[in-house]
This record gives sequence, structure tokens and C-alpha cells, in this order.
Amino acid sequence: MNFRFILGIVVIVASIIFASISFTETNIEYMSFNEALRADKKAQVKGEWVKDKPVYFDPVKNSFSFYMKDDNETEFQVILEGAKPNNFEIAESIVAKGKCSDNIFHASSVLTKCPSKYEGNNEALKNTI
Amino acid sequence: MLGQYLVYLTFTVSLLSTIFYWYVLQSKSIQFLNYARNLFYISVVGIIAFSSLLIYFIFTHQFQYNYIWGHSSTDLPLPLLFSTFYAGQEGSFNLWALFTGILGIPLLKYAIKRNYEIELMVVFGSIFSVLLLFLVVKNPFTFIWDVFPKELIGQGKIPSTVTKYIWLNQTEGIWAMVPVEGKGLNPLLQNYWMVIHPPILFIGFTAMSIPFSYAVAALIKRDFQSWIIIAKPWIVFGSMILGCGILLGGFWAYETLGWGGFWGWDPVENSSLVPWLVSVASLHTMRSQKNTQGFIRTNFILSILCFLLVLYSTFLTRSGILGETSVHSFVTPGAFIYWLLLGTILLFSTMGFGFLIKRWKEIPKPESTYSILSREYSLFLGASVLVISSFFILIGTSSPIITTLMKGKASAVEINYYIQTVLPLAIALGILSGLGQILWWKNTPIKTLSKKIFLPVILSLIFTIVSYYFGATELAMLILLFSSFFMLSVNLIVLWKILKGKIYLAGSPITHIGFSIMLIGFITSAKYDSKQTISLEEGKTISALGYNLTYVGYEPLERNNYAFNILVNQGENNYTVLPTMFINKQDNNIIRQPDILNMLIKDFYVSPLSLEDGKAAGQEVDLVKNKISTINGVSLKYFGYTFVQNQKTGNELTLSIEYKNKSVKEIINPKMLNMKGEVSYSSVKTKDGEFDISIISVNPAKSEEQTTAKILLTSLTSVQEPKKETLIVEATIKPLIILVWFGTAIVMLGYLITLFRRIKESR
Repeated sequence: MNFRFILGIVVIVASIIFASISFTETNIEYMSFNEALRADKKAQVKGEWVKDKPVYFDPVKNSFSFYMKDDNETEFQVILEGAKPNNFEIAESIVAKGKCSDNIFHASSVLTKCPSKYEGNNEALKNTI
Repeated sequence: MLGQYLVYLTFTVSLLSTIFYWYVLQSKSIQFLNYARNLFYISVVGIIAFSSLLIYFIFTHQFQYNYIWGHSSTDLPLPLLFSTFYAGQEGSFNLWALFTGILGIPLLKYAIKRNYEIELMVVFGSIFSVLLLFLVVKNPFTFIWDVFPKELIGQGKIPSTVTKYIWLNQTEGIWAMVPVEGKGLNPLLQNYWMVIHPPILFIGFTAMSIPFSYAVAALIKRDFQSWIIIAKPWIVFGSMILGCGILLGGFWAYETLGWGGFWGWDPVENSSLVPWLVSVASLHTMRSQKNTQGFIRTNFILSILCFLLVLYSTFLTRSGILGETSVHSFVTPGAFIYWLLLGTILLFSTMGFGFLIKRWKEIPKPESTYSILSREYSLFLGASVLVISSFFILIGTSSPIITTLMKGKASAVEINYYIQTVLPLAIALGILSGLGQILWWKNTPIKTLSKKIFLPVILSLIFTIVSYYFGATELAMLILLFSSFFMLSVNLIVLWKILKGKIYLAGSPITHIGFSIMLIGFITSAKYDSKQTISLEEGKTISALGYNLTYVGYEPLERNNYAFNILVNQGENNYTVLPTMFINKQDNNIIRQPDILNMLIKDFYVSPLSLEDGKAAGQEVDLVKNKISTINGVSLKYFGYTFVQNQKTGNELTLSIEYKNKSVKEIINPKMLNMKGEVSYSSVKTKDGEFDISIISVNPAKSEEQTTAKILLTSLTSVQEPKKETLIVEATIKPLIILVWFGTAIVMLGYLITLFRRIKESR
């Protein structure tokens, strides 16, 4: 019994260590664009789409380029590997995940946070009366 | 008002029933038992009544109810109106409570026969009451004017602009406007898979409360052994249904969500996977307890955990705590629901673990005489691996909470986290699932083991070498394949022996065979898929991944959607795929739906990415500030741009370019006007009449010196072909994905056989 008990403890401790290492390795921190520039590792930047600046989809490279403004009002270009994300136009805020190089944020994914459209909002109410 | 009051009434009756059961338990006064029982029946009638009422209101488009207004519209076809029922927060709690009530009837009858009624119903009744409490708080029958009093309620003369109204108080002249149309159903839910997937998942959630109820009831009764046999059919049932719901969700994600796979490690998926893994673990340790009378505490803990994890996953996905770290845009339901959910977890943790701690010392400790080479030990190890993997997934899914607590900022883990933590455990599971079938209870002589293990090991080695030959070259994948093949071959051999005798014993090997086939399907289709992004210009044939693809335009579908017509040709076979992409009018959401060519050995999966409009003939030229670009004898020097912001007329961007062609030299200024996101371009004709120049894009980089631009240079003298509309798709070949679905079906068959066996046993 004792042997199995110790083995159990070892397994549990080992899995906790393994989980926490993987966890910290794959967890991507939120930072501002300037912090991400210096960080030299994967980062998440939250901000808004700059609507006045050009938006371009490159079908050959399959990349989508747009401009974003982070919470510190720093503007920068984002190149996303892939097509325009869902809900892009109506998103309240955008979270880009990726790495910085040459002043451009190369995103592997872009999440869009939308206004909570399925909870009652007045605009929709006016249209349905 | 009828609906609202029915909800209050049902909650009160259910609470009373639970209190009566509790009183009977405390006082042993059986005369109140009938009250308790009948009150429970009444509460089930109550929930069926108001759920039917809700369905009736949905079908008759009664938009005076906020919930129906928010999740329905008059243009929805009948099956989708059913989805409206559980499309939102209130309705999905309603569905969960409804299933809990309905399952409660057979559960009660079953428990009465086995003398478990009072203890069981104290626990199950409290779960039912808490679910009803959620409905009291988030009442699906709330009137829309209670949510929007300012906008909808008026007094006095009704203006002629109001199309529909209801008198709230005619004597005082108070009335409320009623919407004539609903906001509509979330477009992602407008899918037939969505009609069956959530109900099945909720039956699974409901069923997970049954092992919890039995475990606590058994602790109250001090029945540490026989409860296993009584509860077992319900646990098999719950595990089967929850597993089925999860897999249907995966199928839905693959066929219509365009995730490109069946599993995205999304919080919503994970949070139903975690309790399921624990339920599977408990099935195995219960099997051990039945034979060895050991693992008593383990089984109590796992049965309690199953339900607590369902509650925790509800908390994760419904409280809004995951916030913006998830792809799903979760609604924030308000602080009250948040605390209510937390309170519920706390209540049932205290109930479950409280009774366990109270009885801990009374639980007998059987002499453990089993060796490492015994079936119970490998079952226990297998269960541990399942629990550890569910723990890993739980930690990953809870990442936003953990990081908020530790760093103050929420962030999610990458998908890689799940793959690297779960992969080694999956390997262990395959090996253990094989060993568990070979080993004897208590102890296995090494000689017997090596004799039994010889054939499966040889078979798995052969299969692994064959897979290597087919391209599976990574070590980790080969090990996982070996372990899956080992699981497969052992269980096939076991099944072969059983089929000669007692077929009702075949549940376990069949389920394991299904799982190993699924595992192999996961590896081939997710790890060894080939993917390519293809630009399909209308009418032009492009070869990719061994297929010839031609985009031939789009065609209208039902409900204002359009499908892209792509001809696919491979050798003598011609197919058409119709992926769709449309903008949903309700929320400007782009919906992309893939189309799949299902072939026996592989799927050809075509997912639309974007549609580029046709372009005029011409050449694209990249410009860098203060540098000269030369093309076709023309040299262009880019000086930079000016940007004038104006709220009314729009923001105007003007390029300044020096154009030099032969002896002609001039400064040209093509413009781009951005009016609230709507962009228009004005091109410039050169003085020599040879070219037309317009902006494609401008890149105002950080440092002034690096500014670049892209322009279109169109010759006006020589004729060029205009560029046609271009569809960009992502094509993927998924080898042997059919194994995933085939494996799933076998798993379900295995579960069914086991279910019948356990029902028979519990009599």
C-alpha cells in the first residue's frame, strides 16, 4: 500500500509540474504594441480597428492586412495569416495574437469581440416595433 | 402572467417536495412520504406545462415576451423554432430543468423499488429546485416592456405610429407597444444539427446529476457497496448520452462551422469533455469495486466530481468570465447569475464532499491483495490517466481565470497546450485499455501475460510499420498509433472469444474497439491532412492537391444565401462542391460554410475564405517612398501622401507620384476617399494618354521614410484581359476521417450493450 501511495504522490506532483510548465509555455500574455515590440515572443494585443487606414487581402499569400490602435493609442499594421476574421466590421474590439517584427504585427489569429447582439438592445427594438 | 406564475409555482412545489423528503429522512415519519412524492410529480407536471407554453408562444410568435423577441422571428421554419427554445440563457436553463424533471420520474420509480427513494430524492430534488431557481431569476416569460419600460410603455392616447399594443391598465390609460417582429435566431444556430445537438448534451448534463445523487444518497444511507450496482445503469446512460452529444457537436463543427476539424479545443467543447472523461473513469473504477470491494472512496469522489464539473463548466461558459479570450462571444448575463452559479457550485460541493468527509472513517478499508499485474490495478491506472487528462484540460480551459488571479489580466492557452499534455496520456490509455482486458483480477502470472500479449503486440507492430510506410514518420505519432493498434487488436481478440459465448458481455471490447478506431481516425485526419489556399479566378482551372478546381460562379440558395459553384475533377470523376459564404443581415456577420466531398478513404474539404471582386486590366506596382520603380519603360517615383481628415466629406488620401515615360514627365495625384469605411478611388489619366493610374493600397509605416504604396497601372493603348472575380478557398484532404465517425458508431453500440447488461444486473 505504501509503495502505491508514494507512486500516486509522485504521479500527481509530476502531472502538476508538467501541466504548469505547458501552461506557462503556451499562455500568451496581453501587452501593448510597444511592449510586444520589445518582447520578442508571442503576444496578444487588444485594440480597435483603424477604419480610415487601408485594408487589404492578399490572395497569393493568403494574408489580411489592416491597421489597429491599441489601448495606448499606438497605431500599427497587422498582417494576419488568413482571411478577414468573422464579424470584423462590427467588432467593438479586436485581439490580435502573434509576434512583432519590423514594426508590423504578424498575427496568427485575430479574435473579434462583438457588441452583445443577442441581449436586448434598443436599436433592434426600434426596428421590430 | 400565466407563464411567470407557473415558473414560481413549480419552483415552490419542487422545493416543498424536497423539504418533505428531508423531513421524512430526519423524522422517519413515513406518513409524509406520499406528500413529498406527489409534490415531486406535480412539479414535473408544472415544468412540462410551462415548457409547452413556451413552445406554444414561440410557435405563435408572441413577441411580447422578451426571450422570444430576442431569439426568434416570423421567417424561421418549424424545426428552427425549436432551436429558439434553447438559443438563449433562459431557455437553455429551462431545457436542462425540463430534462431533469422528466428523467426524475423513471429515476423515482426505479429508486422506490430499490428502497432508495428518500435519500435519493433529497439530493435530486435539491438539484431540480436549484435549476428551477435559475428560471425564477431568469424567467423566460418576462414581458418585453419590463425590460424596456422607457421605450415601450406609454400613457394616454396611442399615437398612430404604434402598430401593435397591449393595455396594461386600461382605466389609467397605460399601454405598452408590442414588437411585430423578433430579432431573429443567432445565425450559427440556424442549422439542423443545432436542433438535436443541444438537447442531447443537456440530457447528458442531467444524467450526470444522477451518479452524484446516488453517491450522496449512499453516503447518507451508509451503503458503501450495493449503490454501485444500483447507480451503474444510470451512469452508463449518462456517459453514453453526454459522449453522444459531444461527438455530435464535433460533427456539427466539422460539417457546418468550417472549423476545419471536429475538435477546436474551444471552452464550450472542453467544458463538456471534462465531466465526460471523469464519468468514463468512474465506470472503470466501479467495475473494479464490483469485483474487489475496494476503491470505495474513489468511486464516491468521482461520482461527486462528475456533477460538480458539469456545474463548473456551466459557470465557465455562462457567467461571462471567459470574456474575450474565447472565440464564442459569450453574453454577460449579469452579476446575479454569476453569483448564483458560484453559490450552486459551493452548495453541491459542500453537500457532496461534506457527507463524504462525515462518513470517511466509517468506510471500510478492504485488504488490498492485488498485484501490479492485475486487472483492477490497470483499471485504476486507466481511470487515473483519464482524471489527469481531464484535470489538464480543465486547467487549460480555466486559463483566463487563473491568469486573472495571478497576473490581473486574462489570457488563454494556445491549442498546443492541449495537444502536448493530452498526447502522452492518450498513449498510456491505449496501452492500459489493452492490458486491462488481458490481465486477470488480483494477479496474473507473467507466463500467462506474455502468452496473451504476444499476438496483439506482433499485430500492432505490423500495423505501425505499415503506417510508417504510408507516411506516419514522427516518433510520437508512431507510438500513439502503436498504442491504438494494441488497444484495437487486444479488444478484437477478446471480442472474438466472447462472440462464441455470451454476447451480452461484448459491451466493453466493442466500446474499446470503437475508441481505438476513433483514435486512429484522429491521427490520420488531423495530423496527416494536407492543406492549401487556392485562388480560383472565375473560369480558370487550377490544380491543387491532385484535383482540378474550376470556379464557375455562384448560385442562389434558400433564404437569401448564395453558394459558390466549384467544379472538381480528378481523372474521370467530376464533382461539384458548393461552399457558402454570406453576410447575415441581422448582425453583418460573415458566415462561412464548407462543403465536403465524402469519399471512403478521405474527405476533400473546401472552405471559402473570401471573394475578390473583378479588377480592371492592368499591372500592380509597388512603390517605396523616394525610390524609383520602373515597369514597361515607365518610371514612377513616389514622394509620399497627404491625408486630409473631414467628418462630413470623408477622409481623403492623395498620393504624389512623378511619372516619367520617354520624354513626358509630370506629377500625378491619384486619390482615395474613405467615407465611414466606404472607400472610393479616383484614378488619374497621364497627359500622354498612355496610362491610367489608381491606388490599390497605401502603407503609411511608422517611419516616414518607409512609406510604401501599391498602385494599378493600366495601359490605355494596348488591350489587356481584365481580371475576373476570384474566389479564395482553403482546400484540405483529410485522410480516413471516416474512421472517426465509424468509431463513434461502434462506441455507441458498445455503450448500448453495456447499458442493457447493467440494467439486467441491477434488478
